[in-house]
Amino acid sequence: MDVSDLRKNVKLQIDGHPYVVTDFQFVKPGKGQGLYKCRIKNMITGAILDRTWRSGEKLEAANVESRKMQFLYSSGDTFTFMDNESYEQLEVPAEMIGDDRNFLLDNLACEVLFYNERAVGVSLPNQVVYEVTECEPGVKGDTATGVTKAATIATGYNVQVPIFIRVGDRIKVDTRTGEYLERVNQ
Amino acid sequence: MSTSSASTSKSAAERVELWDRALWAVRSHLRGSGLREVSTAVRAPEVALEPFIEPIAAPPGFLATSPELAMKRLLCRGSGSVFQVSHVFRQAEIGRLHAEEFHLLEWYRVGVAVEVIQADVEAVSGAVFEAVGRSPPCRWERRGFLDLVEELARVSLRGDEDGQELLALSAARGLDLGSIPATGDPEVRSLVAWSAFVSEWSDRYLDPHLIGRGGVHVVDFPPALAALSEIVGGRAARFESYLDGIELANGYRELRDPAIQRRRFEVVAGLRAAYGLRVLPIPEDFLADLVALGLPACAGVALGLDRLLMLASSAGSLDEISLTPSSAVRREGALR
Repeated sequence: MDVSDLRKNVKLQIDGHPYVVTDFQFVKPGKGQGLYKCRIKNMITGAILDRTWRSGEKLEAANVESRKMQFLYSSGDTFTFMDNESYEQLEVPAEMIGDDRNFLLDNLACEVLFYNERAVGVSLPNQVVYEVTECEPGVKGDTATGVTKAATIATGYNVQVPIFIRVGDRIKVDTRTGEYLERVNQ
Repeated sequence: MSTSSASTSKSAAERVELWDRALWAVRSHLRGSGLREVSTAVRAPEVALEPFIEPIAAPPGFLATSPELAMKRLLCRGSGSVFQVSHVFRQAEIGRLHAEEFHLLEWYRVGVAVEVIQADVEAVSGAVFEAVGRSPPCRWERRGFLDLVEELARVSLRGDEDGQELLALSAARGLDLGSIPATGDPEVRSLVAWSAFVSEWSDRYLDPHLIGRGGVHVVDFPPALAALSEIVGGRAARFESYLDGIELANGYRELRDPAIQRRRFEVVAGLRAAYGLRVLPIPEDFLADLVALGLPACAGVALGLDRLLMLASSAGSLDEISLTPSSAVRREGALR
């Protein structure tokens, strides 16, 4: 593909890695070369880079697509997902899930990224609601002091929560940071 | 990286009023100063070859990238001094200051020096500012291209550096010109290097420097960047007018020699080949007119009318003053 095809959300391949253009600015002094100033994000690692291309340069388009899949189960070192449209099942290695395993609930709707027809990444919704399965008894207390305690959510992961949270409460957690956001009972 | 602007969006009624006043101001000013208005074909059989301006094909020709050749062919036929508000098209130029379709206000005066045209640019800009109720830019100055390079980038250039030398000097000053294709023809090499230089230098030094400085005519270009201007005393009689750091107009004392003009087009074709850009035909009809009829001594300029309106109305982007309702599809470039 040509640099003149660069736009926001265009996907390209650099040194074998897929990137998506997240910000794009076209600059062109009169009769000079056009400068395509891009901010690009590595679609696998999330790393962000600023790159400028010039008129006449060539680029490689990345063959990437994102499919909606739901998490079914994990066994040993593999995690199994199912395509919401084709019902095809996909096994991905635990390394690809990494710390996200702490937030994978059965049936959770995820986006699986395919690069050259191969699954290369799984992304979870940014915020997911979990049931608290274990924690010290709830205490009525001053929520403003920011006093917290540990609570175990349905995936087995420990989250720091305010002291008023009780077993059976449903809480919203940010899956990117593992932070408690709010209680969402009913 | 953000291109958002603080200016408030204009309603359709405000935009209509803005364009009506500006077009009226431009026409009455230029008519009043001895020019006649013409309107040439939007679909042109041939376009002036430019290093990095990509025409949109409209078989058997192209949508005009500028009305330059058509207007010069009229001048060859005795039109006298003329102006035009024309719709022009340049493929894949999309941004805050770029659109694939825009309005070029272009005019030529027979028998005048480029300084007269620079004064026109000042007067036309002033007329548009006044027409929309703004006080016109009070200060205009003239700065030599190479003086500005020396002052801002601290590179002392003679102006006749060949491609190799310019690349070496740029690299020594930390100016990254990107990947430069290899070419055999020394004139092509020179154009390749100077074109890459002017982009990098403008982006990094010139444009930021000119913000808030009112009007500036950058004059006396190095010969490699002469484009369609005459070279006089080792400098191209070309100028670029900037208003508040935004490039507004490009003007020439027009090149009239058919042999030199042909060679210029061939050098551009060489650059385009080196970059793998689309092969464009040499504009033979225009060259034939230069030979058979001759272009009268004249000077002219092309001014981006949309940008002038944007500046005169304190808008932050061309989209904000466009009379074409914006489309999410168009912005994302899905529709090409």
